[in-house]
Amino acid sequence: MKKISCIVFSFLFVFVLLAGCGQKESNTLVVGMELAYPPFETKDDAGNPTGVSVDLAYALGEYLGREVHIENVNWDGLIPSLQTGKVDIVISSMTATEDRAKVVDFSIPYAHSYLALLVNKESGIQSIEDLYDNDRVIAVKKGTTGYIFATTFLTDAKVHSFTSENACVTEVMQGKADAFIYDQLTIYRQNQSHLDTTEAILIPFQEGENWAMAVKSGNSDLLQQVNQFIEIFINDGGFEVITEKYLQKEKEIFDSLGFPWFFSE
Amino acid sequence: MKKDRFLTKGINPTKFHKVSHIALVVLVLVGFVWLSVHLIGLELDFGTLFRYRNRLWQGFLMTILISVGSLVVSLFIGLIAALGQEYKVLFVQYFCKTYVQIIRGTPLLVQIYFFYYIIGTAWGLDNRYVAGIVILSLFEGAYIAEIIRGGIQSIDRQKYEIALSLGLTSYQTFRFVTFPLVLSRIIPALAGQFSSIIKDSSLLSVIAVIELTQTTQEISADNFRMFENYIFVGFLYFLLTFAVSTLSKKWEKRYHYERRI
Repeated sequence: MKKISCIVFSFLFVFVLLAGCGQKESNTLVVGMELAYPPFETKDDAGNPTGVSVDLAYALGEYLGREVHIENVNWDGLIPSLQTGKVDIVISSMTATEDRAKVVDFSIPYAHSYLALLVNKESGIQSIEDLYDNDRVIAVKKGTTGYIFATTFLTDAKVHSFTSENACVTEVMQGKADAFIYDQLTIYRQNQSHLDTTEAILIPFQEGENWAMAVKSGNSDLLQQVNQFIEIFINDGGFEVITEKYLQKEKEIFDSLGFPWFFSE
Repeated sequence: MKKDRFLTKGINPTKFHKVSHIALVVLVLVGFVWLSVHLIGLELDFGTLFRYRNRLWQGFLMTILISVGSLVVSLFIGLIAALGQEYKVLFVQYFCKTYVQIIRGTPLLVQIYFFYYIIGTAWGLDNRYVAGIVILSLFEGAYIAEIIRGGIQSIDRQKYEIALSLGLTSYQTFRFVTFPLVLSRIIPALAGQFSSIIKDSSLLSVIAVIELTQTTQEISADNFRMFENYIFVGFLYFLLTFAVSTLSKKWEKRYHYERRI
């Protein structure tokens, strides 16, 4: 019996020790994003975070007077990171969907985007209507709005979900999938680099999606500050500067196709 | 028998002792996990998983199917590769050795992408479930080959000399000497490898094979309850591997000719 109590007490002791090292309060703003979505969130050649969301994060940090630390998190892990306090805010081109809003709080929108299709050249798909057939195979990235759209509306099609954008594109290039559903800009860029095997269908087929920043549910102080920041940033023309820096060519193409731009009202 | 200072040799714990200490271990582990969850203020609600029971069940069955399929095929591949490494034709010998080296020297994830998107596409192997079983079997086969080779090499020459002097034919030597001896020696390692197959099959989720892990990831994208989902799925994997190790212990006893008294 002595041995047992000895063991139990030593474990209890370790627990108490562990309990002692709680999280330290710090002034650094930890921003979560998945650095795999150029040109919004990506890495430069030296491996440093760069892109639209990164600039936004630093501008927010400057506005709040807090230092910024960018935390690279997998897309699936972004919301759990918020929930467990690993990051303070998510700025990762995330659409404010109803379901996500149940578990995190979203800021006012700062950008709008539309879904598009990357299809295999031989698939014969002309528009989204062709995907309502049940013998179509659709590739999507897990947890994205394309995934939500496919699983909600294309219930007759076979939906395959992947962890990376490139796996989806490969599936389409090799004809393993008929179509990949993602945002217009990425679809356009992927199509440009695989012109011999793919085609892009960029015509919007649903309402625009609002991109917003997300904070932990109930963190209204930060949310209020973030909303103020976004308003000021929009009014000061911050997004024009960002467009010029990262998306000059893309804006010209979007304008020529007559598509609304990400940051226009 | 002399009582050992640290090892259990010579000590016979009573049933009560055993049960109470198992309970203690479980208590300590559960307490640790509970405290960790409590420390970060996480509220776990496994009730949300009930909605997805059909998908989880299907994923569970798919994991079993893929694991069992891969076990059968990889045993076959492993046996050939083990014997091939000793074969007199040099080409076969080097081929088998290279296969084992390459497979054991590269990550499964790389192999999955390589085989599915390059080899699979080139040779028309488009069914991702079949491809998944083939890839997993090729991977595990290399490890099983090494286990079998080790088992065969561990039998000392004397046993064959005895078999010869008893007048056993080569088939009889295999049937009554080599096979049972090798089997008894490699069963623990094989069982471990089968547990690995079950766990490694989770990586097939990257090519959208809808097994347990893929199902969990899809559900996580849906309910955002990553922790509940992964804890539950970890529990399901453990159920499978625990069943395997329990079975293997039984077989181990049955085939333990050498130490049978």
